[in-house]
Amino acid sequence: MSIEVVDVRPHERHYGVYIVKFEDGTERIATVNLTPGKRVYGERLIKWGGLEYREWNPYRSKLAAAILNGLKFVPIAEGTQILYLGAASGTTPSHMSDIVGERGLIYSVEFSPRVFREFMEKLVDQGRRNVIPILGDARFPYQYAHYVKGVDVVYIDVAQPAQAKILADNADYFLKPGGHVMLVIKAMSIDVTAPATETFKQEINTLKERGFDILETVHLEPYDTAHAMVIAKKKS
Amino acid sequence: MAKIYVATDVLGFFALDEAGNVVDKELYEKKPDMVAARLMELEKSNYVPEIVKLIERIKPRAEKVVLEDPELARKLVAAVKGVEIVGESPSHILVEFRRNFPKYLGALGLTWDEYQKFLFEVSDLVTRLKLRQAVERRDLFIAQAISTLDDVDKILNLIASRIREWYGLHFPELEELIRDNKEYVTIVYHIGHRSRIAEDALKKILPEMPEERAKRIVESAKKSIGAEMSDWDLEQLKIYADIYLNLDAYREKLATYIDEAMKEVAPNVRELVGPLLGARLIKLAGGLTRMAFLPASTIQVLGAEKALFRALRTGGKPPKHGVIFQYPEIFRSPRWQRGKIARALAAKLAIAAKADAFTGNFIAPRLKEELLKRIQEVKTLYAKPPPKAPTQPAAKTPPPPPPPKKGGEKRPPPRRERGRR
Repeated sequence: MSIEVVDVRPHERHYGVYIVKFEDGTERIATVNLTPGKRVYGERLIKWGGLEYREWNPYRSKLAAAILNGLKFVPIAEGTQILYLGAASGTTPSHMSDIVGERGLIYSVEFSPRVFREFMEKLVDQGRRNVIPILGDARFPYQYAHYVKGVDVVYIDVAQPAQAKILADNADYFLKPGGHVMLVIKAMSIDVTAPATETFKQEINTLKERGFDILETVHLEPYDTAHAMVIAKKKS
Repeated sequence: MAKIYVATDVLGFFALDEAGNVVDKELYEKKPDMVAARLMELEKSNYVPEIVKLIERIKPRAEKVVLEDPELARKLVAAVKGVEIVGESPSHILVEFRRNFPKYLGALGLTWDEYQKFLFEVSDLVTRLKLRQAVERRDLFIAQAISTLDDVDKILNLIASRIREWYGLHFPELEELIRDNKEYVTIVYHIGHRSRIAEDALKKILPEMPEERAKRIVESAKKSIGAEMSDWDLEQLKIYADIYLNLDAYREKLATYIDEAMKEVAPNVRELVGPLLGARLIKLAGGLTRMAFLPASTIQVLGAEKALFRALRTGGKPPKHGVIFQYPEIFRSPRWQRGKIARALAAKLAIAAKADAFTGNFIAPRLKEELLKRIQEVKTLYAKPPPKAPTQPAAKTPPPPPPPKKGGEKRPPPRRERGRR
């Protein structure tokens, strides 16, 4: 806590992402806190230039890991509407919520009541109104179709064998023309026996078969092993 | 005559034609509580009155009604006659509807901001309702209830022995004649003074007592050597007896509650070992979910922690069973079979707990069948006690510290239903 912040500057590529520089020369990424004074997962809060920033921990959030590993394009900006599958306790959704701001919306779907309770405590109760909590099963999009409208991005981070398929199914329901999908591949959740690279290939192929152009693939080492982030765009 | 598509939304239902125009709608009253209740049903693929009303109304204009939830469509077929209702998932008309939703919203005189506010309100409410249902920690209630049951048993015994001693001053012979605490206390409460003990009075309060025994009681009441007791003296004893009987009635209710609750929370465990032992295991594990995460070997010795840790510390024999000793097939079997049966039972319990905690599937009949098969196997394969282990040849070095006397079996023999009998 005692380390002084010496500079905060916007990330050169990513909207809403900031780089915080500390006096010892280290740099961290952060987002502007939508609910000042409130923490979501024990992250550091940084005050600079009249704004409060929340440090974005790449070990906790795979999107942060992907950004630090050189992801070129994140299709999220102010006002973006996102369908987030596998919201869990809300670490990554909270930073997305910071980025999209009050005009954006994150439909956050989670299957497990246990972790979602934390989501409610940390995000909803602390005043984030741009997240729509949905306790539901991502494999059956029609069960939550009455909440979700057209979205610009479908983001998926679920520990399920058929990740790419679930993503494509949901995109069929909710993705606007020209929208993007973001897939966190958890190789170990799909097949622990196969080499991770094989699993990545297979999931990426599923996306291609379902009509997506793959824009980028980033591995998440060293923050997460056998994980990769894929950004793709629906062919129009 | 054409296809009509029904879109679901937090505002209600919209009927769309094949060009995506809204031809009819049935909106909910804009009360979040009510809408939440409707959505809870829809998410279970159950229909709600509003969708039935809408389909009834558009029926004459449609030859086919299309919904995205195939299960809901199937259920509606039974509720609305005279029109074909099908599931199509996803339906391109409804996908377009969602993409262009703000356009439709305008026609309703709502802004997106207002809509988003309502959407948040409703989804927040529904999620909380669902969370409450999911996190109602019934298993912890059960754990408390079983502990209460044990307390109540202790108290009942305590009260009964006091009443026996107290009333024994007046009618000492009854102590030997009635073993069951409840019968004893019933007599004290309803009859009181020994001079009033008669066969028909006994018959009335304890209809199940054999006549011959009733006769003996009446006989010894006449010849009793106990001290005289006035009604004024008896009054206090009666109040205490009343407390006993009330508490006993409560014990029954509590046991029924545990049984019912176990049916809901852990039907598989209950089916395997009965509600009370099942509840006791959940209590010792610290909840159903925690029990589901335990390995069978731990479940096997739940309740025998002292013996287990002593065994680990001294390198002695680990206990064969903890509370699952109360399972009749274990305590009724010869000593050398108990460990094997306990191991088999614990293995099945581990599966049953996982099924209860995570799936809700009722798989107990299969588990039970497999278990009984294994028990039979143990009984036939190990019908005879194993031969005594040959005594160790005299050690040259001084003998190691004496091994612990025996493994587990820290639990007292199983409690019968209540009192003495």
